[in-house]
Amino acid sequence: MSLEYSITYKAENHYDHPVKEASWQFLILPDENSTQNQVEINFNNSLNLPLEFSHNAYGFRTIRISAKEQFMDIVFEAHFSLVKEHTNPFNFQIANSLEEELKKLHQLEFKVDFEPFLRKTSLTNLLEDHKQLFLFKKDKSLFENLQELNKWVFEKIFYTPGTTHVGTVLDEIVANRHGVCQDFSHLFCALARQNGIPARYVSGYLHQGIGYFGDSQMHAWAEAYMPEIGWIGFDPTNNLIANDNHIKVAHGKDYADCAPLKGVVYSKGENRTTHSVQVSSQQQQ
Amino acid sequence: MSTTESNIFSSYQRDPSLFDEIYDKQGNVKNVYQTLFKLYGEHSINDYMLLNEKAKSSFFNQGITFQVYSDKEMQEKIFPFDLFPRIIDAKEWEIIEKGAIQRSKALNLFLWDIYHEKNILKQGVVPVELISSSENYLHQMMDVDPPGGIYNHISGTDIIKHNDGNYYVLEDNIRCPSGVSYVICNRTALKRALFGVFNHYQTHTVTNYAENLLELLESVKPHGVDIPNTVVITPGMYNSAFYEHSYLAKTMGVELVEGRDLIVENDFVYMKTIKGLEKVDIIYRRIDDQFMDPLEFRADSSLGVPGLFSAYKKGNVTLANAPGTGVADDKAVYTYMPEIIKYYLDETPILNNVHTYHCSRPKELTYVLDHISELVIKPVDEAGGYGISIGNRLSKKEIEEVKKQVKLHPRKYVAQPIMSLSVHPTYIDDVNSFEQRHIDLRTYTVLGKDKEFVLKGGLTRVALKKGNLIVNSSQGGGSKDTWVLKD
Repeated sequence: MSLEYSITYKAENHYDHPVKEASWQFLILPDENSTQNQVEINFNNSLNLPLEFSHNAYGFRTIRISAKEQFMDIVFEAHFSLVKEHTNPFNFQIANSLEEELKKLHQLEFKVDFEPFLRKTSLTNLLEDHKQLFLFKKDKSLFENLQELNKWVFEKIFYTPGTTHVGTVLDEIVANRHGVCQDFSHLFCALARQNGIPARYVSGYLHQGIGYFGDSQMHAWAEAYMPEIGWIGFDPTNNLIANDNHIKVAHGKDYADCAPLKGVVYSKGENRTTHSVQVSSQQQQ
Repeated sequence: MSTTESNIFSSYQRDPSLFDEIYDKQGNVKNVYQTLFKLYGEHSINDYMLLNEKAKSSFFNQGITFQVYSDKEMQEKIFPFDLFPRIIDAKEWEIIEKGAIQRSKALNLFLWDIYHEKNILKQGVVPVELISSSENYLHQMMDVDPPGGIYNHISGTDIIKHNDGNYYVLEDNIRCPSGVSYVICNRTALKRALFGVFNHYQTHTVTNYAENLLELLESVKPHGVDIPNTVVITPGMYNSAFYEHSYLAKTMGVELVEGRDLIVENDFVYMKTIKGLEKVDIIYRRIDDQFMDPLEFRADSSLGVPGLFSAYKKGNVTLANAPGTGVADDKAVYTYMPEIIKYYLDETPILNNVHTYHCSRPKELTYVLDHISELVIKPVDEAGGYGISIGNRLSKKEIEEVKKQVKLHPRKYVAQPIMSLSVHPTYIDDVNSFEQRHIDLRTYTVLGKDKEFVLKGGLTRVALKKGNLIVNSSQGGGSKDTWVLKD
């Protein structure tokens, strides 16, 4: 069984003064992977500027757009469709104890290969005092520990838009206990890595209508690596294992690797930007 | 020859504990300096003072100045220049040159490895922390093949002579090493003032740097390009090394550009000219990684070119040095240079590394704790000289405190023997005579495809403050012309 998704991404920009030169880079295309296929893209902009495709550091497709003539308004509108295979996130067997799993993770070759997702970045760094916040329990499996971490982050932080920004450090978020999906995901990654488990930050779309936090904007969650199984998605904002409703765009060490839109605009004065995201689905047989 | 014959050196005082570049231990002038010593000896100190003034004004007239940022009034300064040259004979130079090439090649292979298979890390030859704790490691460079396989096209290796008479490398600068323009200007000024003296020696030229740099850069042109178009990119005229950027562009005969002069279209780089767009194939960049491309790195950078990194990844433009090279320009990497040279080249280092004791290794920790007064203790993760303790300047109480810290966090510390930089007679304005001053040497190595070049000369930097060991221009250092003699 599978689901057909259709996603609309819209960004409208208005500038008070003419823009002489501008470049944007989008990282918003649904990833093509084992559960997401037949991805189709229809990307338009109101100035009919050409699109340039590229790949980022982790192999995810980006779109770059440059304006060389003056303008004051530009609208980007993208429609994506894809087919998402239905999978049961709990459909695996765990034979090993935490200790056995950690032994594999502590092998040098493994540590080298997974270095990007074990490192402390400026967005996933914690003060000494905060490093002990969540310690894995030896009598539980790796998966159970990760589930508990997911729940712990979900309960620790109150979903409150507008209280943090992209540069807010994790220690501040832990102290104030308010944040958005980026903050939940960074905290999950930081504590998983602290316990020796590779974790990566994921950005994508969340299917709307069920009342999860984080729809109508792009969403963020995390993936943790389990030696026997591979990468498993955890959504600490909603205390969920990532499932059919999570449409992945990209992953990286943290938000900085996954920023949906980066832009350089040469203009003076103010600008107004509105973003919107809509996700709808249709079941397929 | 005895020193009393000379007026100019009659008041020169030698500290026997220091290695003097021109006098041997018995107080005799070394062979290579004898002609020079005799010629200078024919002049009085006042003649010398007048010549020195002339040479200084020639620097101002040529516009060779730098700015010190912290000065209240952004004052233009010349890099103090001393007419008494440093001489290196052919035999010693051979060691320096071979050693510098060996290091550059080993670092280049290290960079290729840590951005591809990472074998040196997986085999545990160097710790994975060298990259995982480095902010200069660019994951964007993973599996990117730089044109010609070269990362560190230009290296500046800082070398000193210790009081045991041997050369030691202090650091390898492979981000944007600067100073080469001073080497060439020092030579010009010296020849202008003292052509008669210069003529008595068979000295290698230094004015061939730009042509060699251009040739080696062109050897790593992007695939499919016939006659490459090269530019030098600068952060702009307010950068302290702007003079050098413009000098190198001028002497290579290429355009000097800022980020706003370039544009990326369909992953090719173009320069905006009055005749329209002109394709650019090779960029000698004097802009740091993080400022290169606002769409890939720091978005608030107005110095870079949007889309540049994407053009680079597609192989359409050469960047020198390659992005991500800075990870190997690191104190921690330095301490593993002997292992790195052995691993990639199966050679022993030609130039000594200052021996490093890793306190994380129990045996070395014991040695460090027993010999603190003879060592410099450095934290591994601090930059810019913070937290460094120099053993022979510590009180007993301070030594105990350092011991306690090292015992508590052995992984955080390394220790090195205290190095004593050699000294060279240097003309000191204030006292109108020659005095011993500490010196080092920065050499310039350029790597191209299957060829390399070391500038036969280099920048001898002088710590002008008496007893000072810091030779940086921003810290009141000066410089000397450096003569490398032909065989």
